[in-house]
Amino acid sequence: MSTAMTQHVARLLLLPIFMIAIAVIVKGYADTGDGFAAGVIAALGVLLQYLAFGHEAAERMRIVRYAPLGALLGLIVALLVAFVPMLFGKPVLTHTPGVGEHAVHFGTLEFITPALFDIGVFLVVYGFAVGAIGAIARSYEGEGPR
Amino acid sequence: MMLLALAIPWFGGIVVALLDGRKRRTGLVAIAVLAASFIASIVNGIAIYRHGAQEMVAGGWEAGVGITLRLDTLGVAFTVLSLGVLLAALAFEVANGVQTRVFPALVLLMATGLTGLFLTGDAFNFYVFFEISMIAAYVMTSYGGQPRQLRASFIFAVVNLIGSVLFVIGIAAVYHITGRLDMAGIRDQMPLVSTSPAILTATIIFVAFSIKLGLFPFHFWLPPVYTGTTPAVAAILSGALANIGTYGILRFGGDLFPRELARGGNVLLILGSLSIVYGALQAISRGSAGEVLAYSAIGQVGYILIAIGIGGRAGFVAAILYAIINSLNKTALFFAMNLRGWIVSAAFAIGAFSVAGVPPALGFFAKLALFRLGANERDWWVVALVFIGGAMSFIYMFQLYGWRFLKPADGDETPTPLVAQLITGAVALALVALGVWPEPLLALSQHAASVLPGVAP
Amino acid sequence: MILILSLAVAVLFGAGAYLLLKHDLLRVIAGVVLIGNAANLFIMSAALTRGAAPLYPLEDPRTTSDPLVQAMTLTAIVISFGVSALLLGLIYLVYVAHLSVDMEQLSSAEEEQAGVDDELAAAALMPVDGDEDEAVAIAMSEHSE
Repeated sequence: MSTAMTQHVARLLLLPIFMIAIAVIVKGYADTGDGFAAGVIAALGVLLQYLAFGHEAAERMRIVRYAPLGALLGLIVALLVAFVPMLFGKPVLTHTPGVGEHAVHFGTLEFITPALFDIGVFLVVYGFAVGAIGAIARSYEGEGPR
Repeated sequence: MMLLALAIPWFGGIVVALLDGRKRRTGLVAIAVLAASFIASIVNGIAIYRHGAQEMVAGGWEAGVGITLRLDTLGVAFTVLSLGVLLAALAFEVANGVQTRVFPALVLLMATGLTGLFLTGDAFNFYVFFEISMIAAYVMTSYGGQPRQLRASFIFAVVNLIGSVLFVIGIAAVYHITGRLDMAGIRDQMPLVSTSPAILTATIIFVAFSIKLGLFPFHFWLPPVYTGTTPAVAAILSGALANIGTYGILRFGGDLFPRELARGGNVLLILGSLSIVYGALQAISRGSAGEVLAYSAIGQVGYILIAIGIGGRAGFVAAILYAIINSLNKTALFFAMNLRGWIVSAAFAIGAFSVAGVPPALGFFAKLALFRLGANERDWWVVALVFIGGAMSFIYMFQLYGWRFLKPADGDETPTPLVAQLITGAVALALVALGVWPEPLLALSQHAASVLPGVAP
Repeated sequence: MILILSLAVAVLFGAGAYLLLKHDLLRVIAGVVLIGNAANLFIMSAALTRGAAPLYPLEDPRTTSDPLVQAMTLTAIVISFGVSALLLGLIYLVYVAHLSVDMEQLSSAEEEQAGVDDELAAAALMPVDGDEDEAVAIAMSEHSE
């Protein structure tokens, strides 16, 4: 059911969806939102592309092709945030700067290690969800695995 | 330092997942990573032996607020055991030639899950690591690619998923009745909880672990899965993954719910006895090597359950000892199952002796511990059961030995790689060496049992 | 409120258990998902307090409801999400191998295949279904990336 209309809408919506996803991560430090929700939102945007253009066209997009790699990268980032403090003799998952300490601000955005952890989570969730969507889409269209 | 054993396989697993596991080089990298983690956990064990248990709260929060990670002898003993089995299985599979590209990464991720699970001091975190290792196991059972094994692995996944759901329901119930998730807090709060909710919660958690262990009424998923997969995966499932069940019942039963465990002791004894008899009878009547070993696995966990059911210091020591020995036995037997050659034949014989409890193999001490336990408690039927069970396992193991190794070789079988034979031989050699010099292992299980409350060090 | 929640948990669990007994593997997965959601609701109910606001906005810490159960539920949801994706992948492999996702058809197909295997093994011939094995091996390796 892919018409020119749906394709236009899908193409138009992709960028705003990613913007919302990023906003959800950033907002997570002052309001509701986190990397997991952002990853799911971004993956929904990709799902829309699959619906509108079919899996072949969708898989040509760079954000889809590198998603599984991004998931592994995200996992490494999150694990580094967790384990690097141990090198300095602190407990696992210690965040810097600590609670109540001074953090570098950019507007309302704070540069703290939990943000890095959340970006890792975002990449993991996004990569996993896009990978799962791709696998199911390929099998649904009866073409078998890659 | 203390989390190195956890961090190494986790990072290593991610890196290895990027590589093609069918290449020999990737397999060797994975083996190196796992060996490093194994050594790190042994170093941890020595540190604990010298300085006592270590504790760390993630993120520098107060105890009871953040996630607690706790290193004690019980956890480290199971970590070293599981990592050792995984290491042997990975080396065995690499020697035979890995068939899918994800297998080495899966072994590393399962090592991550198991290490985390044995190290955590937080009930919900236990569930998370538990799921990491189970998900690796779900994928692993479909490894091997035989179409007709897919159904077995599907059943395995669904049944164990129900077990996980039951477990998380149990954790939620624990949180509801105690208001705590850290194990120290639960231990403090449990005596204040009234009897019936406590018993109900303990039962749910016990059923969840019984499903993982493949105990008698929950065993139905086990034989098709064990017969369906490759020997290395079967060894991993029975030698490493089943430790979750033993450790879980010991940790939750012996440590967190000692009152409920004492009340339910008779149920454990009955289920354990049924498992032993059922497993042995089925194993005698089965025709294929995989099935005999699978039913034997059901029978062997019965002994562990009996030891836990009797409880007390001697009971927990016997349970830990039996769990360690059973893992090594099953690893040696599953490795030797499909191979040919004199080393393998000898290894199988040693494994069989060990299962039957005949000296000088290590299994003798496992049976001896149970024997003594029964005699001390004046539970003569436990003594009788151990004796009858041992005799039956002697019958089925040597029936199997007769079919497998005393038959003249067909001649058309593929030659076994020498390295795989040597690995099998090494596991068997460990069984004999520890059987001749068992003091370290006995001391280890004594020390590990002293972690559980009500048991003086 | 407790009554409504416990009824919801019971209905979800019951419906899930009913679906688990079906022959169609897709329904079995739907049953697993339902049971998982029953567990999630149960976790939420573990710290249910009447009329308390959620964590945010934080005004008076004594009247807020417990945020920990929500974190636990979120974790459980993520895990069940991953596992159901995995199970769907497994079903796809079953479908590729047997062209069916019906439990009864699968077991009869397996028996046939086992019979064929035995005959062939007796005659010491080549293993059967080489192509199919290969297809599944490829499917598996690709899928689990």
